[in-house]
Amino acid sequence: MVLSLFLVIILFLTVMQAAIPYLLKNTIVFGVTIPEGYTDDKALVMFKKTYSATIFSIGLIGLLIYVFWTLGNHLPEEKIVFIGLILQFGILLISMGLYLYFHIKTMKRKRENKWGDNLKRVRVADLTSRSNDEMLPSLMFALPIPITLCLIVYTAIQYGAMPDMIPTHWGPNGQPDAFTVKSPFSVIAMLLILAIMQVMMLAINYFTKKSGVKLNASKRSTSRIQQLSFRKYTSWLLFLVSISMTVLFGFFQLTTIHENLGGPTLMMVMPLGFLFIMLIATAVYAFKVGQGGSRVQLEFDEEPIEGVTDYDDDAYWKAGVFYVNKNDPSIFVEKRFGVGWTLNFGNPIGYLIIIGPLLVILGIAFLLD
Amino acid sequence: MFIQIEPTSEIPIYTQLANQLIELIASGAIKASEALPSVRSLAADLGVNMHTVNKAYHELEKKNIIEIIPKSGAIINSISANGPTDMQMDLIKLHLKPLIAESIVYGMDKEQILSITSSIISEITEG
Repeated sequence: MVLSLFLVIILFLTVMQAAIPYLLKNTIVFGVTIPEGYTDDKALVMFKKTYSATIFSIGLIGLLIYVFWTLGNHLPEEKIVFIGLILQFGILLISMGLYLYFHIKTMKRKRENKWGDNLKRVRVADLTSRSNDEMLPSLMFALPIPITLCLIVYTAIQYGAMPDMIPTHWGPNGQPDAFTVKSPFSVIAMLLILAIMQVMMLAINYFTKKSGVKLNASKRSTSRIQQLSFRKYTSWLLFLVSISMTVLFGFFQLTTIHENLGGPTLMMVMPLGFLFIMLIATAVYAFKVGQGGSRVQLEFDEEPIEGVTDYDDDAYWKAGVFYVNKNDPSIFVEKRFGVGWTLNFGNPIGYLIIIGPLLVILGIAFLLD
Repeated sequence: MFIQIEPTSEIPIYTQLANQLIELIASGAIKASEALPSVRSLAADLGVNMHTVNKAYHELEKKNIIEIIPKSGAIINSISANGPTDMQMDLIKLHLKPLIAESIVYGMDKEQILSITSSIISEITEG
């Protein structure tokens, strides 16, 4: 059971990591801005292929060794989990290393060939993009929060009837496997974590809505449609995460209060269902929408405008991954290598939104031990 | 309705921005009583400092082209039915004079200068 779970997750991770170069806009290659007209460069195509093939093969080989080794040695469950986690970190580390290698090679190639030196570097904005933005209203992200509050009140009412040991962790079969002593804090700890995550997702939606709609200077209409789709579907995905988490955490809280509520099957199916919904939604999002909407298919084919290219803001992207720009009021910006948003580290509000809630959650987990 | 700025140009970004907004208004792409995007969102879209956009908006307000109303934002004024004021007229002359002088220095005659002017007018109004 644990093994097959890890198998699915690691395979998913491998495929996603290997696919990244093909989920991006073709004007950003390994974190480097490539001017229009040079995006089909043979060396760059080779870099992408090598990256994907390497990650995919390493992932598959690691997975095979993992499966045969655990099956051959009849390892205990904790060991399988531990090695599975190590393998995931390994794949991520190798991807990062390989990314950095190709990031440097791409930069060098761009510099040596003086790409885009004869093009006018501009930034483009559409005055109407805000009125056409279809991101979900932040109010919708507030909807799950009252559910959490109701559950806290309900838990307080049921406090006397609750068991003396409160579960804090559940195994892969959905059964609790770690407990803490009952106290007014420990019985609602999980709901507090849920509430913090809900507020965090509300804040992310609110601030991404305010962040810039960045267009491609030479393909304006195309990039405008793709950007707006990307914003819309990213907020849908975030909303799905918020709702699914509320259902999952709420369910576990109810089974803690009423021990025979779920039954073993439901206890097992709920977290598995959550996992699969998340994996499938992420995959559909990554492959159908792509970074910045780059995989959204359009009905028309726009001719690129000659002589202009995007303003090269590589200087603001440390290692092509961390965006630090004090001037840009955007708190979130599109990732350069990956699908989704990343922080503008030049803006302190961003740290607060992400790091603040994580610290509080860690604090709660620490207090429970 | 696209705005395009060139961060490395000698012309300051706020001037480029103000000029382009004026052009969009002149062409009729943005109409009277319509609102411009908020300073924050336009700055975020262009990836420039909010002060830059703010400065451009204030430039337009000073020229009476837009009105900045607290909470509703920057609203486009209607094009005056009585033509320009004396002050606006003087300002335009002031800006045009060195350009026309430069054209003459480059060897352009009256015909050429007038034909360039009329072709620019049709370029703006016909989009």
